[in-house]
Amino acid sequence: MKHLLLLTLVVSTLLVTPFGAAETLDVSVEVPEINANPYHKPYVAVWIETPKRKGVHTLAFWKEQSDWYKDLRQWWRKIGRKKSPNYDAVSGATRKPGIYKLSWDGKFESSKQVIAGEYVLHIEAVREQGSREYLRQRIRLGENQAQHFELQGQTELGKILISIK
Amino acid sequence: MTLLKRISTLASFCLLASITTFNAIAHERFMVPTHTLLSGDKAQAVTLMASISNDIFHPDRPLGDSDTGADVGDLKNLFKVLQHSVIAPDGSISNNTRWQAFERFSVADVWLKDSGTYRIGLIQPEVPMTTFKKSDGTSGRVFGKNPALPKGATNIVRRTTSSRVETFVSLNSPSTAAVKAIGKGVELAGETHPNDLFVGEEANFQLLFDGKPLTIPTNIKVIKAGTRHRNNRNEVALTANQSGEFTFTPTEAGFYFLAAETSVKVPQPAEFDIKHYSLYLTLEVFPE
Repeated sequence: MKHLLLLTLVVSTLLVTPFGAAETLDVSVEVPEINANPYHKPYVAVWIETPKRKGVHTLAFWKEQSDWYKDLRQWWRKIGRKKSPNYDAVSGATRKPGIYKLSWDGKFESSKQVIAGEYVLHIEAVREQGSREYLRQRIRLGENQAQHFELQGQTELGKILISIK
Repeated sequence: MTLLKRISTLASFCLLASITTFNAIAHERFMVPTHTLLSGDKAQAVTLMASISNDIFHPDRPLGDSDTGADVGDLKNLFKVLQHSVIAPDGSISNNTRWQAFERFSVADVWLKDSGTYRIGLIQPEVPMTTFKKSDGTSGRVFGKNPALPKGATNIVRRTTSSRVETFVSLNSPSTAAVKAIGKGVELAGETHPNDLFVGEEANFQLLFDGKPLTIPTNIKVIKAGTRHRNNRNEVALTANQSGEFTFTPTEAGFYFLAAETSVKVPQPAEFDIKHYSLYLTLEVFPE
């Protein structure tokens, strides 16, 4: 009886508590070395959407001039142009080739937390006088379910490591 | 004097690095004709679109104007020096084609009165430009001879840039007089006529520099039209042999962009450290 109660408690905690307090989404993004002349650093966006393609949260937005934001076509379409949800806190200058670590605790600025369930992580990169690459991975958030994914870009993205724990 | 000497030493020291980074500030430029092959007994016209843009062949900024077009700001200085060249089938050169700039591209009509091949071009003669590194580490450039540079500028390289933006159009049978090099800058030559390109057929071209086979290292690349609507740019780098000859076998029909860029170091002391020469061609390939 006591065990059943405990179990119920645990299960209901899982269901109700969005994105269990300790859960963190870590994404490692590789901007690959590209032997191109001229080489422009790529514009990159990393973000989360619901499976029905509603923008949830941007983890990173690396850019230079606003004229070219539109070339991150998917991100611009779903989050960028409406600026919803806001991404000021994760916007920054374009990065040179290297490996970059992003992290999200599932909290929004409003201190609300994401609702548990299925999401899609999107990674998009586009380079002037270069190519465009767009990778996606289905993930589950808020269920205290450890997950690891490895994606391999072919052109403008290198190795992408996704870890939820 | 000491300062000048120091700058010059610095410039030659940094030359190698600068040559490879120079292109970082260059954009592609091109002209696209409505037709490259025409037939008929009467004179016919082609209309051309020219633009400075990294999207092949989607325009971004205009290229060329006869003082009647849109207010293009700083581009005006470039447009003033551009030669609006048309070489007719008899080899005669005219410079009176009227180009008109719009905000995103320039437009011109060219009449083909005689049968044969016309070479249409927007030619930029040597334009002085100085590149440097600002004290905050970012790079800068200024046009004009002996320009004023910001305080603390380093990596100063005095350059000239010149380019030929060209395409070929033939009425009835293609001919060779207009294709023959005029002997200025980088030009296309070779066995294959630029208006006789078909899928699966090897095209044999040669690059000439000032009328002679181009022997110095040159970046040659080919990009098929439509970069805006595909994720991969699919830029193909081609290599010329020691006589400047290279081959290209198109696998798809359509318009192609061919760019050849080279640089020549100027023996010092001289007004400039390095001179850049480019050729930007539009070629049309037809299906088998």
